Amino acid sequence: MTDDGLPDDHLPDYLLAALRMAAGVDPVPGRVSDAARDAYSLRLPGGVVAAPYEIGAVVGARSEGDPAMHRFGADGITLDVEVTVTDGRLDVAGQVSPAPGPGARVEVRTPGAGETRTPSESGHFAVAGLPSGWISVVCHRPGLAPVATRWLHVRD
Amino acid sequence: MPSEKTLTGLDQAAWEELVTRFGGRMWAVARACGLGPADAADAVQGAWLRMVENLDGIRDPERVGAWLVTTTRHEAVRLARRSRGERPGPSALTDAVVPDPAASVVNADVGRRLWLLLDGLAEPCRSLLRLYALNPDAKYAQISMRLGLPIGSIGPTRSRCMSRLRALIEEDR
Repeated sequence: MTDDGLPDDHLPDYLLAALRMAAGVDPVPGRVSDAARDAYSLRLPGGVVAAPYEIGAVVGARSEGDPAMHRFGADGITLDVEVTVTDGRLDVAGQVSPAPGPGARVEVRTPGAGETRTPSESGHFAVAGLPSGWISVVCHRPGLAPVATRWLHVRD
Repeated sequence: MPSEKTLTGLDQAAWEELVTRFGGRMWAVARACGLGPADAADAVQGAWLRMVENLDGIRDPERVGAWLVTTTRHEAVRLARRSRGERPGPSALTDAVVPDPAASVVNADVGRRLWLLLDGLAEPCRSLLRLYALNPDAKYAQISMRLGLPIGSIGPTRSRCMSRLRALIEEDR
């Protein structure tokens, strides 16, 4: 809320941030800076970033433990990604369609690690027990550009 | 700063320079949006991941700092909404970030000028903003006790005081 009635006004947050920086209170923790530096290694040169589609399944009531569905598309393929949170860990299952054929690999990435799977004949894949937080799914196809979903934040 | 039209060719050293220059500002913005340390860390990391996704798409490397700060705020606001139990809308991932020119105030030099102006504010603004700025994790209940103000008035008073401070810095420019 601001005096000039502008919606979604950013300046008060920015001014507060500037006051704290000048006072030297609450500096950025080292682990946050380390993670920022490490993010450089997550670049995917030549890769295509798949934009999210809006799908009906995410709308409406969803109780804890139910998977969150996300659909992404780019470069002629669709990536469906379903994430379930179990005891603070992420189980990721999904499908590449059309099925990418022999030689393809699906990599489920977190900022700290990645797990690679060979998708089934129908294009399905699953990875269990990843740390919660940011994830991205990458489909590597022989001779074609890798397709990566935008990074998703998933937590309890 | 790289001189290419986009950031595609950004090397590790240039990336680390961005982390050094803007990491502290991004953290301060995420915390100023009201996030605790764990959520703020996720918001900042989210902004760097958006950068990784967008290296080809950032057309104006000169404004990359404003882009990073604005993106951090987007991610922070989204996380704050979810912490309050609001479901993300279907467009939660589709927002394109336009660098906010106001992001340029997030630096220690502006902060030092703000402290001088803050010291000239009348009470309760002076004490309230000072407490709030120096104690990022202070709850309204603690501020209420320290200043002897009703708890329900802390939020509105803070907004009003911040608007006064803002008016002063705009005059000062």
